[in-house]
Amino acid sequence: MEQAITRTKWFFHPIFIFIFSTVALATSLILYIYWYMEVSTGLKEVAQKFNLDHGQLLESETWVVILILSILVGIILIGIFIIFVYNQKTIQLYRLQHNFINNFTHELKTPVTSLKLYLETFMKHEFSRDDQKKYLDYMVQDVGRLSENINRILNLARIESKIYGEEFVIVDLLSTVEQFITDNDHLFQNCIINTHNSSGRSFPYRINMSLFDMLLMNLMTNAVKYNKSEKPRIDIIFKLYHRRLHIRFEDNGIGIEKTEIKKIFKKFYQSGRADDMTARGSGLGLHLVQNIARIHKGKVVAQSNGRGKGSVFTVMLPFKF
Amino acid sequence: MKKVEKKRILVVEDESHIAEGLKLNLALQGYDVMITPDGVSGLDQWKKWQPDLIILDIMLPGIDGLSVLQSIRLENERIPILILSAKSAIDDKVKGLSYGVDDYLAKPFDLEELLLRIERLLTQASWYRKNGDSNGIESFSSERTYTFGGNRIDFELSVAYCKRGEICLTEQEVRLLKLFIANKGKPISRSKILGIGWGYTGSMATRTVDNFMVRFRKYFEVDPKKPVYFKSLRSVGYIFDHD
Repeated sequence: MEQAITRTKWFFHPIFIFIFSTVALATSLILYIYWYMEVSTGLKEVAQKFNLDHGQLLESETWVVILILSILVGIILIGIFIIFVYNQKTIQLYRLQHNFINNFTHELKTPVTSLKLYLETFMKHEFSRDDQKKYLDYMVQDVGRLSENINRILNLARIESKIYGEEFVIVDLLSTVEQFITDNDHLFQNCIINTHNSSGRSFPYRINMSLFDMLLMNLMTNAVKYNKSEKPRIDIIFKLYHRRLHIRFEDNGIGIEKTEIKKIFKKFYQSGRADDMTARGSGLGLHLVQNIARIHKGKVVAQSNGRGKGSVFTVMLPFKF
Repeated sequence: MKKVEKKRILVVEDESHIAEGLKLNLALQGYDVMITPDGVSGLDQWKKWQPDLIILDIMLPGIDGLSVLQSIRLENERIPILILSAKSAIDDKVKGLSYGVDDYLAKPFDLEELLLRIERLLTQASWYRKNGDSNGIESFSSERTYTFGGNRIDFELSVAYCKRGEICLTEQEVRLLKLFIANKGKPISRSKILGIGWGYTGSMATRTVDNFMVRFRKYFEVDPKKPVYFKSLRSVGYIFDHD
């Protein structure tokens, strides 16, 4: 399917179609005006020949006709342009989705393959208790990976269809974050995680607990996943700026290329190339994070000084104090 | 009865759980198994360890499985290779088969089926070994010589007959020529040429490819400044074509 798009002849390319139709339209406008002028001068001559006093009338009409023609052509041009832009967006989305299906097929099939392989092996052979435990452990990990992926898709579907389930409640953000860290310390075993709050106050905010947990989970597992340091480190800093609360998640991970910073929040976007599997995962995590922040009336911004220099994700929320 | 030497199987798979599961089962079947987690080390072990069969994943870090396959096929047409991939579309299978894979199984696969197919592939390979070819030369299966324009290449002798007379080709030149001939009329990117021809990745060494192209043009083109057969495509790579 993708090949069908890339392999079509160059003159079927949307940009060329756009340029062709624009040129055609411009030419036709010039021709309309030219012919109109010719016809009207012809008429004028006829009028003069028969001594009719229509010259004045025709003169003023010419400009009105040209004006109307230009406006109409302008509207058609805008129309073509809008269709062109939408078409480009559709193609882009199609590519992204293709990328997503490719990645996600791999992400879903790999644990299933592994599970099936070990189950069939167990049916076929007898193993010692130790071996059994080792392979069962693999299978548990695979099930974990599978359910994590399934959850991501389901969460995205829920957020996009705006079904959040639970109510919004007012809680203290600092203690929510700290609670989250203690609840999930098995995920961050080798990491140093610190929270900083120089203001010394609490930050009551209206949040949806399950969504906010999802946001924290994505930001913090990313900080650890894309990290090559011996001791991954996450600093979570709470700071107040004019009517805004900033929660900064600073890590010492692999950082983000400048050109990628804006793209990473796009749905299905994966840093790294899809074909050589430097890209892993669904390309949904940060898209989810951004959506969750929006549901909480805020936004998320990424900063990094480039590869190898760590990254900072800042959750910005409106906050009155 | 003479003790039969264990057949060697090389598994190129980056998912450690699957690789280990395969190793476990194949070892239980009585094969000698080695696992490599990426394309570069896969090619490396194929040369050093001389396996009897290769199980290959497509989506690998570094050089992808299809490039590994092409690279091996440039030198060895016979070794049975089985692709085990999550890509199950007909297009992917056709692509793999056109590059010369012997069998293609989609993940998740059936264990029994995989083991039987492997057994069959190894049996077939052993027939080849019995029937002749005792001189040990791995012949380039299809044709010994290849002609384009006024040039003729003899792959068996590694000699090119062209406008500059008779030229002895280096091993690397032969590999690249085979690669171009196998992909006649299709553009190949520099990094692909590098991956398949040399077995490594990275953008640093793509100059090497350009140097080889300069040499080929000197050998085979009437006017090396205006190449007809080895054309470069801007920001893509090279394309080899002729009537």
